[in-house]
Amino acid sequence: MRENPTFGLVVAGVGGQGAITIAQLILGAVWMDGYHVLQSEVHGMSQRGGEVSAHIIFSKDPVMSPTIEEGDADLLLGLEPLETLRHLKYLKKDADIITSMTTIENMENYPSSKKILNLLKSIDGVKMIDSDLIAKDIHFSHKGNMTLLGYASNYLPVNEEVWDKAIKERFKNKGNKMVDKNLHAFNTGRKLINNENSVYQ
Amino acid sequence: MKTNKLLLGDEALAIAACDAGVKAFYGYPGTPSTEIFEAGEKYVKNLNDGRIAEWAANEKVAYEFALGTSYTGYRSVVTMKHVGLNVAFDAFINSAITGIQGGLVVAVADDPGMHSSQNEQDTRFLADFAQLPLLEPSTPQEVYDFTVEAFALSEKLKLPVVVRLVTRLAHSRGEVFALKTSLKPGSVGIPPTSEIYNWVLVPSIARVRYRELRKKLPALYEEAQKFNSLQTFQSAQIGVVTSGMGSAYFHQYKKNNNISDEKYNHLNVKAYPLDINLLLSLIKKSDAIYVFEENYPYLEDMLIPYCKGKCDVHGRRDQTLPVDGELNISLIRQALENRQLDSIVDENLFAQISSLIEIRPPKLCEDCGHRDAFNDITSALKNIGVDDPRIFGDIGCYSLGVQPPHNAIHTCVEMGASLSMAFGAAMAGMSPSIGIIGDSTFFHSGMPTLLSAAKVKLNINLIIMDNAIVGMTGQQAPVASDIAPLIARATGFSEQQIYLLNPLPQKSEENVKQLEQIFMRDEPSLIIFKRKCIIAMQRKLYLSEKKEALHA
Ligand code: SF4
Repeated sequence: MRENPTFGLVVAGVGGQGAITIAQLILGAVWMDGYHVLQSEVHGMSQRGGEVSAHIIFSKDPVMSPTIEEGDADLLLGLEPLETLRHLKYLKKDADIITSMTTIENMENYPSSKKILNLLKSIDGVKMIDSDLIAKDIHFSHKGNMTLLGYASNYLPVNEEVWDKAIKERFKNKGNKMVDKNLHAFNTGRKLINNENSVYQ
Repeated sequence: MKTNKLLLGDEALAIAACDAGVKAFYGYPGTPSTEIFEAGEKYVKNLNDGRIAEWAANEKVAYEFALGTSYTGYRSVVTMKHVGLNVAFDAFINSAITGIQGGLVVAVADDPGMHSSQNEQDTRFLADFAQLPLLEPSTPQEVYDFTVEAFALSEKLKLPVVVRLVTRLAHSRGEVFALKTSLKPGSVGIPPTSEIYNWVLVPSIARVRYRELRKKLPALYEEAQKFNSLQTFQSAQIGVVTSGMGSAYFHQYKKNNNISDEKYNHLNVKAYPLDINLLLSLIKKSDAIYVFEENYPYLEDMLIPYCKGKCDVHGRRDQTLPVDGELNISLIRQALENRQLDSIVDENLFAQISSLIEIRPPKLCEDCGHRDAFNDITSALKNIGVDDPRIFGDIGCYSLGVQPPHNAIHTCVEMGASLSMAFGAAMAGMSPSIGIIGDSTFFHSGMPTLLSAAKVKLNINLIIMDNAIVGMTGQQAPVASDIAPLIARATGFSEQQIYLLNPLPQKSEENVKQLEQIFMRDEPSLIIFKRKCIIAMQRKLYLSEKKEALHA
């Protein structure tokens, strides 16, 4: 056993989806809660629509690598099903996988979304969340990500107050209304852990 | 800056420079280096104490800005990506011979794996060639610490000092503890009268100055030695040489697997030039040596001749590691243990996934004007009978015109090459010959071609995709806008040879007609497609500039 384990998390999505914002929120929260952290971000070309991912590593001991070894990540947060599939290789055997169900089909040869979702469903440890639908239900349609993050927060060793603080800090320059909306979306997602019906596993 | 913060490697460099009392940031945008300047610019604005952050037209000019600031005795940083140093190379090499006055830090970001570059050249070779010291950090904290030290070192040796980042470090965010105190910019003064000729590299002086540079080499080795460390153990038979991200990955590999430090003799290189004695000591203690460095086999090649008949060297040369691309922990494990971790993806799942995973390439934004311009150009060519066109392209968002459905870019070599290659092709008989360049790339190094093109009676068509922004690197303001026609006029283009087109869908028919005529003429033409970048508009960048200009 490692004395102080290293926790590895991958966030994957499509350019323009806000994957880096989500990753930075997680990074900030974990750091505020007293961990050493390192994150590798993709700042590629600024056009939209390519693959985007971030690796986050944290531990009570100092960390030095900003990227996770294939087969060593504990958690994958996929904002788009095909991107979830693409990054599975980073995960440990018993890792948790949380994925959105909304495909972004911005390429001609996008594979069958049904096949992707069925394959994901068949993998142990996958939690599929119709985060966009849920976000729409709470009248916050473009914040499926925050709902997904809220659900994922159940799998991260960060205190509830710290999440609160991190979200407030992140959105405070966009006004109180935005802070509240994001908090609401986050908390809706967080509570899904008690509601098995909205999580496909 | 006071407290600890989460910073990108790039940001850590900028803040360290501010804390070290830097007077000026200069640079040209280029992924992954752009955020160094941008962070610097932000701090310069906040500090509001007379510091400077100024983009230049290209890296050579930026380098010379920095050298000029250094001449006045102030500290400066010049930032660029690895291939930018090629553009600045003349200034770089010769500034080693003139030496510097105020500390000069050359921040260069390499791109192993070519995330957004045309090659993965290794800046260590260029610093070596110029005989300049280079520091190679491996965490955001080291970026901060090494940058602060680089200024002191630069003034001590009276030489520019290179700080080399790579993509994974430039774009890694981690905790950085900054100095408690931040220096204000101060000048050590212009070169004194006794040194006034040091900077005049006419042959008689250059010979003397070059000898002086050679004489500094022992001091360079000595300074680098302070950063580098060799640990050997009685029990260890295997040696490992690491640098930069190689050090970071090797450290994490040991940590994650509870591998004792004493298993390996370890030479950790953080500064160059490297004293050969460190390598010799490592060789003496080791039966085999593994080299983990990003990205060319620089240390490996130093090592190989000394190891002949003594020990094996494993790295990129013997294909223990791939010859190209980024390092990672998997590759280190594969090299040392000849195995990989089992992931959730077993053979069965792998087979199922592989058939589904398709690449998702970046694309031009949906409503980008470049799309319309490409459509207009290829339609016009088709209409005049050129069904299989060959168009010289350049570096920017519009490089993506290579993709279907446009298929409108057929070369992308280096900054500015589009126009000059189109000229060379026209000279050799290609007609029509077409080169496509962005506005910022035009100012970077496309402009000189106008001088030659204006003089010939050939069907050469220079096309500027003008969105008045540096689109690809995140929408920086270009050094100039709207002056290309004036410049062309000054070089000898007549008003009838300069065309301003608006690449909008509703203008397409009109544009295509006009282009057909232009592409049939045996004379040079400058065609400017003018339309704003969608993303920059969404970010209100054009507006805020205007507002600022009004208040200025
Ligand atoms: S960032 Fe601007 S210039 Fe680049 S593709 Fe998008 S709209 Fe076009």
